[in-house]
Amino acid sequence: MSESTTQSSVTRRSFLSSGTRLGAVVLASPYLANAQAPAGTGGTQALNVGVIGTGAQGRVLLNAALKIPDIRFKAVCDIWNENRTYGERLLKKFGHDVKPFEDYREMLSSVPELDAVIVATPDWYHAEHTNAALKAGKHVYCEKLMSNTIEGARSMVKTARETGKLLQIGHQRRSNPRYLFARDQLVRHYKILGRITNINALWNRSVSDDLTWTARNEIPKATLEKYGYDDMHQFRNWRWFKKYSGGPISDLGAHQIDVFNWMLGSNPVNVMAGGGVDYYKNHEWYDNVMAIYEFHTAAGPVRAFYEVLTTTSAGGGYHESFMGDEGTLKMSENPKYTKVYREARAPEWEHFVKEGVLTKPGAGEEGAAAPSLPWEKEFKPKFTLAPPRASVVDVRETAALSAWNIPVVLDKAIHQPHLENFFDAIRKGTPLTCPGEQGFASAVTVLKVNEAVQARKMLTMKPDDFIV
Amino acid sequence: MSNPSESSPSATCCASSNATAAFLILRLFLGLRAFLSGLEKFESGGTYSFENYGKTMARIANGITGASFLPSWATKAFAMPLGYIFLALGIMLLLGVKTRCALILLALVWVGLGFGLMAVQSDEGAVWIGTYVGLTVGALLLVRHNRFALLPDRS
Repeated sequence: MSESTTQSSVTRRSFLSSGTRLGAVVLASPYLANAQAPAGTGGTQALNVGVIGTGAQGRVLLNAALKIPDIRFKAVCDIWNENRTYGERLLKKFGHDVKPFEDYREMLSSVPELDAVIVATPDWYHAEHTNAALKAGKHVYCEKLMSNTIEGARSMVKTARETGKLLQIGHQRRSNPRYLFARDQLVRHYKILGRITNINALWNRSVSDDLTWTARNEIPKATLEKYGYDDMHQFRNWRWFKKYSGGPISDLGAHQIDVFNWMLGSNPVNVMAGGGVDYYKNHEWYDNVMAIYEFHTAAGPVRAFYEVLTTTSAGGGYHESFMGDEGTLKMSENPKYTKVYREARAPEWEHFVKEGVLTKPGAGEEGAAAPSLPWEKEFKPKFTLAPPRASVVDVRETAALSAWNIPVVLDKAIHQPHLENFFDAIRKGTPLTCPGEQGFASAVTVLKVNEAVQARKMLTMKPDDFIV
Repeated sequence: MSNPSESSPSATCCASSNATAAFLILRLFLGLRAFLSGLEKFESGGTYSFENYGKTMARIANGITGASFLPSWATKAFAMPLGYIFLALGIMLLLGVKTRCALILLALVWVGLGFGLMAVQSDEGAVWIGTYVGLTVGALLLVRHNRFALLPDRS
């Protein structure tokens, strides 16, 4: 490893909405410091990095990592020439001297100077690729879901322990400064939600066509067989087949279900679920899944509903709502789905605005005060009377929740802070935000859903199930 | 023998004191309404300043002009002194300084504002202003019962 004094091109400037900057900066500074690229002025260690898997997710990670100072990509590996060439060209375009490989074994043996490896291959290869890289003395950043089998995930944790190398699992929300701020400040420090009793989360996508390929870039059958793929269609659409993946609950749900455990600081005690191959004719995995978990936290039971639908985008995108008796935190990687709602019975929140913990919605945003007419004074102090009785549909209906904003915004690629956390852990020994042990617990939580769908009954989980 | 058509002195006295109380309540309400209407034009985000006043009144004038046939010079001429007029009239009513004169001026200000709101076709706004016009006219009808005035009108 060599020393470098490259200056970060990323500024630390305004991630906050106006009016609450000072307070929010104070509160959010640990998360910002974690999320921003190291300045390098103190002599940041350059790291040599290889990447295995440059398909859709691998490209996302490459583009995020390219923005981080002092990362030198040295090798790119993918069994598909199409992906491999893309990765090689992209990295060379940004000045990285990379060697392309089809076989990861060759990459690990031919480029010994690698400090770290990013694994972004299909789930069923995560354990094999990660274990090999760890055994070769490399630190590993492995995409989620950790593995499509619990045993595969378990082996990764064991190998990391045996080799003493770092293993970060790609649940990137854990490094997102907005998520960190929400959990550490809003939920844990200020207890703004009161007692969390329920979680409701979803990721709904409209119908999509299978991925295709051209005759020119088709992988030869012998090569596919060598790497364990039945055919080109399954190679391209591996997420839908049981051999290679955990299906939509793993591809999409894993991110959000991981946040359940992370936010609550707890693992579930049971799960029931329903799902099926309801729509697509040539897929194996359930295209629609609904699951209900039960958590036992120190504050009491929490029930969590999760749905992943791949036949409709109705329902409002992708987000996780943590619902307490005094407020609800609606989180998403997409800031437009993020909001904090105050129950009418909760103590007043105005002081949180002054302290920089919350902000008020701006014009046009949900929860914003009705805009003034052009001939009226702007920003009149808010005073609202209870709605007239006649406007209440049901006399048992409770008062509407007021909407507030979180003053922390991630102003970079959503995977970048998680990669930065990984590289900082190598360079400075800072703690990983998703070490293998925690990734394992999430993998168990997620994979149990498919098991519950198949078993058609509630499955209980013991604390030992989440521990390697 | 007493004349049945004439009110008794005690009844007349009682009606007069009721009218005095009614007018005093109306005077206080209109005085507060006028004073705070002026004061709020200096406020923005919890702070009061002449800068806020200038911005708010320019916005109101431009808003009316932008949504009606009224020219900019007219709306600005009306808007720019409006806050100060409200403050002055409010203080006059609260202290009882030339109350009748203040009520007439206040009614005219309300009518002027109502005209602006009619011009931008804000029916709701015009009705609100109409309510103030009615209250001010009612006060004018009772103004002869004005008491507790610092500087009464000449009778």
